[in-house]
Amino acid sequence: MINDEYFLAALRLEAGTDPIPLRVSSSSRDVWRLRLPHAVTATQEATTIRSVRADDSSHLVRFVATGLTFDLEVTEGDGLIDVAGHISPYPGEGALVDVRSPHLTLTRRITPNGHFAVTGLPPGWLSVVCHRPGHLPVQTTWVRIRP
Amino acid sequence: MRDSAELLTAAADGDRSAWDELESRFGPRMWAVARACGLSPADAADAVQGTWLRLLQHLRNIRDPGAVGGWLVTTVRREAFLLLRKDLPVVSSSEAVTEVDPAAVVLEADDRQLLWKTVSTLNEPCRSLLQLVALDLGNRQVASRLGMPAGSVGPTKARCLEKLRTLISLQETAQ
Repeated sequence: MINDEYFLAALRLEAGTDPIPLRVSSSSRDVWRLRLPHAVTATQEATTIRSVRADDSSHLVRFVATGLTFDLEVTEGDGLIDVAGHISPYPGEGALVDVRSPHLTLTRRITPNGHFAVTGLPPGWLSVVCHRPGHLPVQTTWVRIRP
Repeated sequence: MRDSAELLTAAADGDRSAWDELESRFGPRMWAVARACGLSPADAADAVQGTWLRLLQHLRNIRDPGAVGGWLVTTVRREAFLLLRKDLPVVSSSEAVTEVDPAAVVLEADDRQLLWKTVSTLNEPCRSLLQLVALDLGNRQVASRLGMPAGSVGPTKARCLEKLRTLISLQETAQ
């Protein structure tokens, strides 16, 4: 079974009329700086994306890795993204969290009850990394937040 | 020239030039797949970038490093279909691709050339229709060029692709 998309893509490549734009190649190469060679990756729990507000502007996503659970409430407003997060169990004194997009990383301390928040991120790809003294960093898989 | 498995291993070991070489080798195919899935240029750019972000998190656990190109195009196709679902506010793949689509092999250079040559052997309207589709013309423009109703372009394209598929299969069987 050959999927039509691959067929059409092969024909498009041979026709050569829609090459990959330079900026797309450039941004693809640039994600290299987001590499965390020794990080543990927390995967998303498949059924955890759900609306938490009646107007559908806010969604909860849960990620789990060995020993840590990330709950992210992602809210869209005025074209920007706010993230209110909770990490459990509390990762400990000195722990920091990075909320990352391909173009911007915001670092926050985690409160003693495990909360953190960032505002004003651009819509698009998003990942959170928890840094704990004496442990490997734990990163969530990337999710794309629609504007 | 390093092969795909060597590039992936080198990238996992921190070689930035290997990462750039992977992008150079497979980025154009990923773009073509995303666009062939029907994504706009902006969404195709997101699907491609998201796929590289996923690879970055799986550099050391791609099952078959030599098939990283297939992994990338399989992943970008999956991301593209998720992006096309406008009902999903948060687009996410809960698990990485583990099985590469065997059909993605048609994107290899030799197979692409064979495909293009085979299109030229098709009867009309298939030959012209597939050439116009490859030029990124929309259904209305294709209909206008070929003098057919816009509504029949989609079904005709599906039939033409089926013929193309059959011819390619026969050629592969004969080899």
